[in-house]
Amino acid sequence: MSKKYGNLWYLLFTMPLFLIFLIVVVIPFLIGIYYSFINWNGIPSSPKIFVGLDNYTTLFQDQRFIDSAWNTVKFTVFALISVNLLGLIFALIVTAGFKTSNVARTLLFMPNLIGGLILGYIWRFIFTDGFKQIGATTGIDSIFFNWLLDPNYALLALVIVFTWQMAGYTMVIYIAGIQGISDEVMEAAKVDGANLWHRMTKIIFPLLMPSFTICLFLTLSGAFKIYDVNLSLTNGGPIHSTELFAMNIFNEIFGYGNYGLGQAKAIVFFVIVAIVTITQVIITKRREVQM
Amino acid sequence: MMKKRWAFLLLSVMLVVLSACGNNANNTPNEGATNNGNNGNQAEKQAKITLFQSKVEIAEALENLVAKYKEETGNEVEVWGSAGDAYITQLQTKLAANEGPTIFSVQPGAEAEKFATYYHDMSNEPYAKYISPNMALEIDGKIVGMPIGVEGFGLVYNKALYDPATVKDTSSLVKVLEQFKADGINGLSLSQEAYFLIGHIINTPFALQEDPVAFIEKLNKGEVKLSEVAEFQEFAQVMDAIRANSVNPMEITYDTQMGDLATGKTAIVHQGNWSYGMLADYDEIEIGMAPLPIAGNDKLAVDIPAGWVINNTASQEQIKAANAFIDWLYTSDTGKNTIVNDFGFIPAVTTIEPTELDPLSQEVFNASQAGNTIPWALNYFPQGIIINDLAPLTSEFFLNASMTPEQFLQKLEEVWAKAAK
Amino acid sequence: MSKAKNGVVSTLIVILALLFLSPIYIMLVNSFKTRAELYENVLALPASFSFEYYAGAIKKMNFLTVFGNSMYVTVATVIFVIVLASMTAWMLVRRDNAMSKIIFFSFVATMLIPFQTLMMPLMQVMDWIRTYLHLPVLNTHEGLIFMNIGFHAGIAVFLYHGFIKSIPIALEEAAILDGCSTFGVFWRIVFPLLKSITVTVAILDVIASWNDYLLPSLVLSDKGLRTIQLSTFYFFGEFTIVWNQAMAGLTLTIIPVVIFYSLAQKYIIKGIAAGAVK
Repeated sequence: MSKKYGNLWYLLFTMPLFLIFLIVVVIPFLIGIYYSFINWNGIPSSPKIFVGLDNYTTLFQDQRFIDSAWNTVKFTVFALISVNLLGLIFALIVTAGFKTSNVARTLLFMPNLIGGLILGYIWRFIFTDGFKQIGATTGIDSIFFNWLLDPNYALLALVIVFTWQMAGYTMVIYIAGIQGISDEVMEAAKVDGANLWHRMTKIIFPLLMPSFTICLFLTLSGAFKIYDVNLSLTNGGPIHSTELFAMNIFNEIFGYGNYGLGQAKAIVFFVIVAIVTITQVIITKRREVQM
Repeated sequence: MMKKRWAFLLLSVMLVVLSACGNNANNTPNEGATNNGNNGNQAEKQAKITLFQSKVEIAEALENLVAKYKEETGNEVEVWGSAGDAYITQLQTKLAANEGPTIFSVQPGAEAEKFATYYHDMSNEPYAKYISPNMALEIDGKIVGMPIGVEGFGLVYNKALYDPATVKDTSSLVKVLEQFKADGINGLSLSQEAYFLIGHIINTPFALQEDPVAFIEKLNKGEVKLSEVAEFQEFAQVMDAIRANSVNPMEITYDTQMGDLATGKTAIVHQGNWSYGMLADYDEIEIGMAPLPIAGNDKLAVDIPAGWVINNTASQEQIKAANAFIDWLYTSDTGKNTIVNDFGFIPAVTTIEPTELDPLSQEVFNASQAGNTIPWALNYFPQGIIINDLAPLTSEFFLNASMTPEQFLQKLEEVWAKAAK
Repeated sequence: MSKAKNGVVSTLIVILALLFLSPIYIMLVNSFKTRAELYENVLALPASFSFEYYAGAIKKMNFLTVFGNSMYVTVATVIFVIVLASMTAWMLVRRDNAMSKIIFFSFVATMLIPFQTLMMPLMQVMDWIRTYLHLPVLNTHEGLIFMNIGFHAGIAVFLYHGFIKSIPIALEEAAILDGCSTFGVFWRIVFPLLKSITVTVAILDVIASWNDYLLPSLVLSDKGLRTIQLSTFYFFGEFTIVWNQAMAGLTLTIIPVVIFYSLAQKYIIKGIAAGAVK
């Protein structure tokens, strides 16, 4: 096959984007790796001292960094499950041919349109004022209290907000996948007497494998990198219990002014995440092939 | 034939991408260098300059001011915008890209030290003479920044509920808080934001030391035991009394804190004169500001929150234009008027007489005129410590009732030594 | 399914969806309240529905200008990303050699880097480009678009790559036999088949570029260049937020994307129907 499209065409098609990408993302990333070997406060005129691997040895003794890594892992696992479960359910509902599907599709996607910090502020109202009012009126104050003051519930609150925001996003991709399953296949299955459960597990899910790969990867990378919501909803609190990776790195670089150490953390973070997500992609891709 | 046409199209797409930014190559950077025409003239046309600052509250007034500046002098100042907490990050990144503003604002202390290599020396500029005594932003004995104004904080209280004349020391403050609790009123309210939770209130024991800066340096090195310093013992007692008698500060935001004060649910908050604006939407109450009476302290914490500095990496023409603008700001009627009435600042220069200050600003101004103040020692804390270390520790103190005041001070030493490394 | 049942379930779905949107309710009601009202009760309806905070927000943000700026940046970014990423992804799938694997891998892997760690080196690179290549990449919309393309490339290539693999090669081979050039094969045969994924990419990319704050805040300094997101800074002080105007401003910023999405989603379905070829 590859012979059909010549080398010149290959370069013409791939290089424009790859060059831009190289300049904007790859080169800054490589410069970032260089910075991880120096001691610097991030002010251009300040001295940059080469310290070799010192930053890397320091960060493994940084208990707060290790804690934030663990928080991030917990957060990501929960978020991965809830986002994809909800996104898939949404997609199945709105493609099932109900009258209101189009309206529901727009409504369910709307949370994704609210970006950045203010989303966290709005949810803070819900978890503090909203929950207190519900707790007071219903008397179920063992569930409805200020979640942001309890380390475990605060992390859960982050998962909820992230799910709320991302479920519509994955829904869009699952919809595209579901729509791609041809009606003939489904009709044929119905004629053959396959019930709903069988149609799901034997036809829909296997055919959705490419969508799963994409959604899992997007959720994973989104969850690992989460910053805005973390900052505006909990700001890492209470007592650092919800400080996730990106926030820890940001604080190191711009809070304490340890530029090199922060970059070293980012590199370690990148390597870990890359290993995890690439394993994930390989696993799910393999399942696609089998199918 | 067709092949060629497609190839050509593709090539043009590529070219558009790569040169998308090339079409206006000649009119951008360093406008300053080009348009400084007639030198030596009286009404000299100055280079265009840029100004970047952190106080969102004055952003609009500042934009109006530079519009008037252009009307009056024909010179241009471009005001950049930034949300409050993103300011330093943006400033740092823009400086790194040689895209720094001509004039920018920095807080004295650690933040000012951080950017110290960027300051134009203002010592010999005419406007440096207008600065009120001890109000200049200085680095190594040189004046590098003009104070944007004066701010002060202390106990902001509802005059109907609290009388500071009867409370002159820690033990009487604790007693008052206990009485408030018995009466069902929130006595002294802090709020969950880092500076309002701990940053400001912990300033007092530091500022009361003989030499606060030297004291902080000793603490950085781990050479001080806070539990043996009387001011800190009393500070911890006050924090303990707040925990025992007031609503948990972690449940309170700046918005609810001021709302509770305005509606009489709270008697006292630890706040600054800036908080008066938060009361605007409520029915008016009589409020005042009193010192935090730790160790008999009878002074408000008053200092300059930030100074205007000029970026010495800007072109000569821009530095000249920046000097002209700052001079105009502090000497022209338009400039002076804007500082007091539109910015709502308490002036820190001798050229401006304040008029019609709000009650809190009036008290701060009176205290600073009388020299009855303690400094903002918190500006000299290690970088980032209030948000990254002190606030989490304090939230732990308020959420965990079993932590004693002694343990609080001890942990304070620990996190301090770590952060100062 | 009976008609009545369909109706009941349909209504139920909308009710659930509305419940899901309760945070948006908070955004809307509080865009009408004074600070004192908000303090009294965040969840309650406002005392009056006056649009003064909307008017205030529109004036402060300089809405028409910043809206135009955002439109320009978003539309240009999305068009470039779609054209370039679809071409790249197609080639990477069809010529699956070692080079393609490396390129694809680097596109995907860098999606994992938090932007905060790239911003300082990125700005230094841009400064270098400006100084030595004399291209005004800083403080221009075009510079921002250029960087947007780079940052959005990964996800777009990733999405296209996954989709293109499921397209049968047979059609392309037939077109080549008919004498179509590579370019012709892609734009006439392949690209139309990509319609539904293109709409998906467009939706996701419109949102990413419309809502971005951090990158534009570093690249664009001048007031006249501000995007809609950058202009909301007036409402966010270090400690205080002007809630009513902030919520009003937020409502205004999301309305265009809501409209865009409800229009675009129709094409996902149509696109699929048309692309039933496969």
